[in-house]
Amino acid sequence: MSEENWIEVGSTDSIEEEDLIRFDHQDKTFCVYKLTDGFYATDGICTHEAVHLEDGLVMDDEIECPMHQGIFNIKSGEALSPPACEDLKTYPVKVDNDKIFIKID
Amino acid sequence: MKNNIIILGGGQAGIYAAREIRQNDSKSNIKILGEENLLPYERPPLSKDFLLDKKKEEDLYFHSIDVLKNENIEFENISINKVDFENKKLFAKNDNVYSYDSLLISTGSENKKLTLDNNLKNDIYYLRNLEEAKKIKEIISNKNKITIIGGGFIGLEIASSLSQLQKKVIVIEIGNQLMGRIIPKQIADLVQNTHIEHGNEIILNKQIEKITKKNGIYEILLNDNSLIETDFIIAGIGSTPTVKLFENTNLKLDNGIVTNQFCETSIKDVYAAGDVSNFYHPFYERNMRLESYQHAQNHGICAGKNIAGVKTEYTSIPWMWSDQFNLNLQLTGMCDEYDEIIERGNDINNGVIYFFLKNNKIRGACGVGIIGKVGRDIRITSKLTEKDTIVDKQILSDQNLKLNKLIQK
Repeated sequence: MSEENWIEVGSTDSIEEEDLIRFDHQDKTFCVYKLTDGFYATDGICTHEAVHLEDGLVMDDEIECPMHQGIFNIKSGEALSPPACEDLKTYPVKVDNDKIFIKID
Repeated sequence: MKNNIIILGGGQAGIYAAREIRQNDSKSNIKILGEENLLPYERPPLSKDFLLDKKKEEDLYFHSIDVLKNENIEFENISINKVDFENKKLFAKNDNVYSYDSLLISTGSENKKLTLDNNLKNDIYYLRNLEEAKKIKEIISNKNKITIIGGGFIGLEIASSLSQLQKKVIVIEIGNQLMGRIIPKQIADLVQNTHIEHGNEIILNKQIEKITKKNGIYEILLNDNSLIETDFIIAGIGSTPTVKLFENTNLKLDNGIVTNQFCETSIKDVYAAGDVSNFYHPFYERNMRLESYQHAQNHGICAGKNIAGVKTEYTSIPWMWSDQFNLNLQLTGMCDEYDEIIERGNDINNGVIYFFLKNNKIRGACGVGIIGKVGRDIRITSKLTEKDTIVDKQILSDQNLKLNKLIQK
């Protein structure tokens, strides 16, 4: 695991619990979440239609798309409810000195 | 026990029912009979991304044939013209006979047609299925001035797409607001402004007296004697449930097939789901018929569970959306029974929502905003409605306060 793939997202207090922030890096966009047991990251765009999940609802480890209500598990990326049927890609997250990093492949 | 389960209607409710039955019942034969020679597909993009060429036909299918094969769900393209509920048989136009133990009717709904007293019937286009969308897409490529009759969801979505294709668009609506059947006037007016800003002409409160054709150009005469010249006409004036097949049977019909909260009809072992069903909603304590994506899906799933023997009440709070230009409009619950209206936000860029309350509880809400801006709040509203929560009106009306604070865990 090379160090340079860990990208700094921001400080840990930039996200409220049970919420998310959008993070853009180069030509990719992500969602970074704070759940009760830590931080998680997924692709930013819903797999159903090209809508950003940043305005979606985070609840009980799930993110729900604001446009058509597809639901994904934030930790596994699994598509849980139609119309979404393709899983959402997830990314490793670490916290170092109150800063959040995600590992982009 | 192995049963023969037939699903009559190859749309969204039908496919979701079939897959749900299979999840709960690995043995029974499941067969979908569809009138269109296509696997079940998504209709919402037809008026939007399909017309705009952002989605192709192959992007519309819910599932590939492989998914159906893997789950041992048969799909047959056939038109049924007679039903014998007593002997549990369906008769096809080609003399095929299908016997069932359980039947799900998911025949959907069909477009109301304009009544015209001349022979221009075939000149007016409607949009419900893929074939119609393809035809419209092909014809409009060389038309410039297009008139939409009917200012409902479908008409306005088409108007939005045509405007994006640089067409001159006129929308004629008989009522005094757009989307008047279900959308509150406050929201409809915001959507209307957006259409006008993009150059679409919106004509309200006008009836069509006559349509004539001269040298390939149509003339639409309105009841105030004004005349509109147009190259092409599309009508979207509502729909009716597809029940003709059952009109002379014992199946109870009243604005669709009457069903209870378990998707059961008046005839044993016969179920109905989706647009065609006028179902009892336990939360609102009344029957209703809905035509929406979420309903077709969830009602189909609920019917599937009940057919497979997993008794399940349908309690889903209604939800629907419409995408026009860069706006996403969403509606949850029912906005027609209220004693108080609360407004959240006043700028379409951040989203505007109207909540309809009765006895301090939300019965429904409708919002519109730039894509993505109202979805989360509308979703939380559905949850608050479902849980019959007494809401803090201060939080509802202040966009700086998060609505999820209202959810009691």
